Amino acid sequence: MHPESKLPSVPPPPNLEFKVALLLVLMVVLAFGSLAYVMYARGVFENTQRVILVADDSEGVTVGMDLTFSGFPIGRVQRVELADDGKARIVIEVAREDAKWLRTSSVFTMVRSIVGSTHLHVYSGVLTDPPLPDGAVRTALIGDATAEIPQLVNTVRTLVENLQNMTKPDSSLNTSLENLQTVTQNLKGPYGALGVVLGSDAHAKKVITTLDQSQAAMIQVNAILGDVRTSLKNVDAVLAEAQAVGANARVATTDLGALREQVEMNLRKVEHLVDEINRKWPLARDTELKLP
Amino acid sequence: MHQHSLPRSGLSALGHACVRSVSSWWGLIHFGAVALVLALSPSTYDRGNRAAVIRNIYASTWQVLFWFTVLCALISLVLIRIVVVTASSYGLSQYALEMVVRVLVLELIPLGAALFVVLRSGVLTSTGVTASPLHIEHVPRIIAIAFSVATLAAVSSIVALVLAYLVVYGLSQWGLAEYTHMIGRVFDPVVTVTFVLKTAWFSLAVAVIPLASALQTQHETARESNAVPQGAVRLFLVLVLIEGVSLAARYV
Repeated sequence: MHPESKLPSVPPPPNLEFKVALLLVLMVVLAFGSLAYVMYARGVFENTQRVILVADDSEGVTVGMDLTFSGFPIGRVQRVELADDGKARIVIEVAREDAKWLRTSSVFTMVRSIVGSTHLHVYSGVLTDPPLPDGAVRTALIGDATAEIPQLVNTVRTLVENLQNMTKPDSSLNTSLENLQTVTQNLKGPYGALGVVLGSDAHAKKVITTLDQSQAAMIQVNAILGDVRTSLKNVDAVLAEAQAVGANARVATTDLGALREQVEMNLRKVEHLVDEINRKWPLARDTELKLP
Repeated sequence: MHQHSLPRSGLSALGHACVRSVSSWWGLIHFGAVALVLALSPSTYDRGNRAAVIRNIYASTWQVLFWFTVLCALISLVLIRIVVVTASSYGLSQYALEMVVRVLVLELIPLGAALFVVLRSGVLTSTGVTASPLHIEHVPRIIAIAFSVATLAAVSSIVALVLAYLVVYGLSQWGLAEYTHMIGRVFDPVVTVTFVLKTAWFSLAVAVIPLASALQTQHETARESNAVPQGAVRLFLVLVLIEGVSLAARYV
């Protein structure tokens, strides 16, 4: 029995073979096209360079995870392995065209959020730094939101304990508040802030008495100062007299000089006169014996 | 004597049932293996068989491809929209596309294509099944059904991927790089190989199991009334098994 005879007796549709061939071609194109697209999407045709991140803990890091720069995926985790020193080595492939964002000063972080997966980020602050070489090993900084929760809880607990200590009946805060209340009551008292500052009303009273006495003393001092001022005025008058006497003495001294000159001149004249008399008086010449 | 014979007959009945079940499963596997070998043998595609293959492919694939794709696109659109809107409302829109691809393309569409082909081929109701030699009549049909499952799944998956892009990014071309990156992240080698193998096993199961069960039934005329549910049950069992194994391979 031939298979053709088993087929339905309806006439075959037009272009049967062409349609089936079209289906086969479509299937082949879809299969190879999808394969090529997936390979392209996985970066099979890209040149890549390798970055190795070292972290204490690789929890949450999976193969195929993205490395993002400014929110754009530029690399993929290729392998996660345990190094000899017990640390996790995360091998990341970065496309060559995106490797320009990796610099020697770049910082790699691994962030674990409470909801969602772990994320790997790279931050390059100085884009003029030299590019990161192929196969560079860098340490991943771990920013773990959940890891901070125990620390946060501890801090909050300490804070609450401190608050409890502060609000106890015998706490220092309460004592301070009571003291403050006493101070305000004293402020309202007869001696006010002075009593608060000096500690008691008796001391404040003493201070006030002292102040009164000081005031009286000040009045007496003022009177003395008035007398002193009067005496000083008298002294001023005496000094003025003395000044006049001094001036007269200076004038007298000047006259004395002139007088002396006049006396000297008169004396010379007298001397000259005596000499003239002696010359004109012949006898006078013989008074002296001149021996031969 | 009578009291002892009852449990013994029960045990023997259980033993017979086990043997029958094992032999039945073995017959099914054997049938599938022979069909696979014949389908891969060039000698199967002589002039007469090639014509039969072409007619079967036309009937099983060409006639349904358009409508199945339209139906699948509509369902995909609804599901994509639901997932994207829900994810956005929770602030998780970055995971929406990945979820759509993982759930719709990797899981639902291949299963949907397989079930659609099963229901449409009529093999569950044994229509048109005759006890003719395997390579003469059944191999073209098996090839056509397997091809149909693979083609429907592939075309619908591509359509769903395009729809997902359009729903999320619209007609803009600027989401293409991000979308491609996401596709690359989802389709890692394990997922890709598992997806291809799963679709291939679905095709084989849908093509072989109902037919083999129907043929076995014709040899065991006494159990004919029970045959249709048995083929369907076996098929669904195998489909669930394949789905479970593929999920385990990817996510466990």
